[in-house]
Amino acid sequence: MPRAPIWKWELHGEKFLDASALQMLGVSKRFPGTLAVDEVDFDVRVGEVHALMGENGAGKSTLMKILTGSFADYAGTIRVGGKEVDIHSPATARELGIGMVYQELSLARPISIAENVLVGRLPVKRWGFVDRAAMLAEARRCLGLVGLDVDPRKTIEEISQHEAQLVEIAKVLGSRPCILILDEPTSALSRDEVGRLFEIIRGLKRHGIAIIYISHHLSEVFEIADRVTVMRDGRKIGTRDIDEVTPQLLVQMMVGKTIDEFYTQRRARIGEPVFRASGLTRYGFFHDVSFELRAGEILGLAGLSGAGRTELARSLCGLDPLHDGSAALEGEELEFGNYPSTVARGLVYLSEDRKEDGLFLRLSVKENLLASLLSRHSRAGVYFTGNDASVTQRYMEELNIVAASPEVDTGTLSGGNQQKVLLGRCLATQPKVLILDEPSRGVDVKAKRKIHEAVMALADQGAAILLISSDLPELVGLSDRVAVMRNGRIINEMKKEELSEEAVLLAANGQWEPAHA
Amino acid sequence: MPLTDNGNRRMPSRSAALSLLESAGVYAVAALLVVVGMFISSDFLTADNFLNILSAVALLGIASAGMAYVTYSGNMADLSLPAIMAFSGIIAVAALPFGLPVALAAGMLAGLAIGAMNGLVVGMLNANPILWTLAVAFFMEGFMRFTWSNNQIYPATEPGSAGEAFTGIFRLHVGPVPLIVCVMLLLFVLGHLVMARTRFGLESKLVGSSRAAARTAGIRVSRVVFWDFMAAAFCASIAGIFLTSMTRLGVFYLGQGYDFRAVTAVVIGGVMLSGGRGHMPGVFGGVLVIGLMTNIMTFLGITSFRQNIITGMVFIAVVGVQQYRLRAKGKDYA
Repeated sequence: MPRAPIWKWELHGEKFLDASALQMLGVSKRFPGTLAVDEVDFDVRVGEVHALMGENGAGKSTLMKILTGSFADYAGTIRVGGKEVDIHSPATARELGIGMVYQELSLARPISIAENVLVGRLPVKRWGFVDRAAMLAEARRCLGLVGLDVDPRKTIEEISQHEAQLVEIAKVLGSRPCILILDEPTSALSRDEVGRLFEIIRGLKRHGIAIIYISHHLSEVFEIADRVTVMRDGRKIGTRDIDEVTPQLLVQMMVGKTIDEFYTQRRARIGEPVFRASGLTRYGFFHDVSFELRAGEILGLAGLSGAGRTELARSLCGLDPLHDGSAALEGEELEFGNYPSTVARGLVYLSEDRKEDGLFLRLSVKENLLASLLSRHSRAGVYFTGNDASVTQRYMEELNIVAASPEVDTGTLSGGNQQKVLLGRCLATQPKVLILDEPSRGVDVKAKRKIHEAVMALADQGAAILLISSDLPELVGLSDRVAVMRNGRIINEMKKEELSEEAVLLAANGQWEPAHA
Repeated sequence: MPLTDNGNRRMPSRSAALSLLESAGVYAVAALLVVVGMFISSDFLTADNFLNILSAVALLGIASAGMAYVTYSGNMADLSLPAIMAFSGIIAVAALPFGLPVALAAGMLAGLAIGAMNGLVVGMLNANPILWTLAVAFFMEGFMRFTWSNNQIYPATEPGSAGEAFTGIFRLHVGPVPLIVCVMLLLFVLGHLVMARTRFGLESKLVGSSRAAARTAGIRVSRVVFWDFMAAAFCASIAGIFLTSMTRLGVFYLGQGYDFRAVTAVVIGGVMLSGGRGHMPGVFGGVLVIGLMTNIMTFLGITSFRQNIITGMVFIAVVGVQQYRLRAKGKDYA
């Protein structure tokens, strides 16, 4: 089992269980333009599970990145085991016994479990050869910590997603951390496996390991946490014992503000159905999903990470495979797996990650705006440039894209302007149905407002919009109706008047009941 | 022009000016080489010798014009180029008994068949283009040696036969200009129009810039990549037939060395190995530079082994400079 945490001998005389494993006092971290973490006090006791909650952008990950040594320039005091420390690099964090299990797996898929678990600390014999026997024994020991009984010689590709998740945890535990950070560790796990993970966590608690548990899942927090801290807009809202709070109270702490007048001014003119999906299924991602979109309507799609929203959108428009179901655009069946033809018919998808598979960062703003119009502006294979300048000018003005000229590389623009270029490319196709996947992720407030204006204007012109967003104010503000996805299924539908950030958050956690039911 | 900006309505732009400067650089180097050549030999700059130089680079030029599509669309290089050249030539010779037109058509089709295979596998199955085309080159060499029992085959060249006409192709002239030079210039002009003014050319640029982004922009990526490899095979087949006509023999090793020299010309011409940047006039400049360099080195009596060493070093230097400039511009997103 894990080594005895260091404070066992450093906290002379003090009673083991009440001692603080970690104290953060007045910790701040400033990025250009924003204060990501603002004077936060946070502490974790020895042998405690402390849940950290908050919406996206609340500052949780920045706070954890400070702890794991990603930023050398934070302000404030951090004590580990009662001793003041300066965490200026990931190596320092490791020496202090701080280990983090990230939401995205950091495993190398083609190599063995053993090598993954022991990465960076492979046992070595003379002449630099790996001691395979020692490696396998140590790997088995680490896997034992998470109760995983697989052959460590197998590669990550050969095991399932949830086993890989446990391997990831084993890898961090193998370095014997005293403070363990788990970031949404259950997103890839089934219910049984979550139960097993919680058993493991309880075992770790008994060994005096302090655990920080980041999750959006209220049920998990109530099941495993001893205390919970809520953050919002970079500030700490409060820390409570878990017995003192209810799900409703936690949600209230997380969301706070009321809906902006900016959104309430819009009067949606909802028309005829333009799009219908029924029984959409991609095994392992989403099951039997049906919904309808009307002209002029913005349908929000709410859900926690791993609920299958992005996967649904990508399969629906033909970028990813689909196993079952049908969809029709204006009464005509959609051909699945053929995104170019879907675009030509007027259904367009705005990618979730503008850098990964959204924009052509090395090409100009103009080229990006026109990228989806090449076939439309061509006759017999020859491209006609007649509309180029007017289209470029129109969307640069409409979206207020700030660039020295339409010819500058898109990669040189700010995040907000890049996102506007991506939206402009979608708008330029004049879609009948537009699927927006996190349309304002990582952009500044002004750009976000401009994007929202454009989305509302598009809806007012009669387009139907499916909005996937983890930004609750955005989702609640823009949507005329919200469908709630959980574990790959649509479990609720909420009308405009039922929408609030709290209701949506509860619904995404499967804890919302319609008033009339 | 929208995407490449080569029309008259050029917008003032840094990137366009920069790329103009880059291709101007290639021509400056070419001019410098001409001056060096004049010092070495007094009749270097005569019209006659200029045509000689153009004829000498024509085969490489035709091959490079095709290779440019592959590099431009982000697939780095078609290493099966020598195999396509040899195969189209050998098939053309083998089909000569059926008459010259049939022989030429058969040769072209043979080369295009390899291109289609490359295009399908790299386009649809996302195979690594370098490894796949390397494997194809290896396979085709074995296949040709096996089929023709490791022998060279010769066209029958009795007066008036198809064979005589075939071996005469290389020596045909349009006025004072050799046919092969006309074909090369035609392919470059055509290539420039395709890249700058057709949907296919613009889509190749997008695919070369980011295959993933091209997909979400609604571009038929597999189809675009397919036609890029077809274009490369088309040009390589023409080069192969000319080369076979010149050497008067069809044999498996015929196009050897053209793969690397073509990539060098393309890269010197300013087409980024990472795809999406560059243009045909630049590639033509690159071909001139390689051609002039070879010409001068031959004048100086430098052996072909040493010429290879020098060409290889030039390639390394140019790629190094390209990478350095991207870094220097802070374009780590490139």
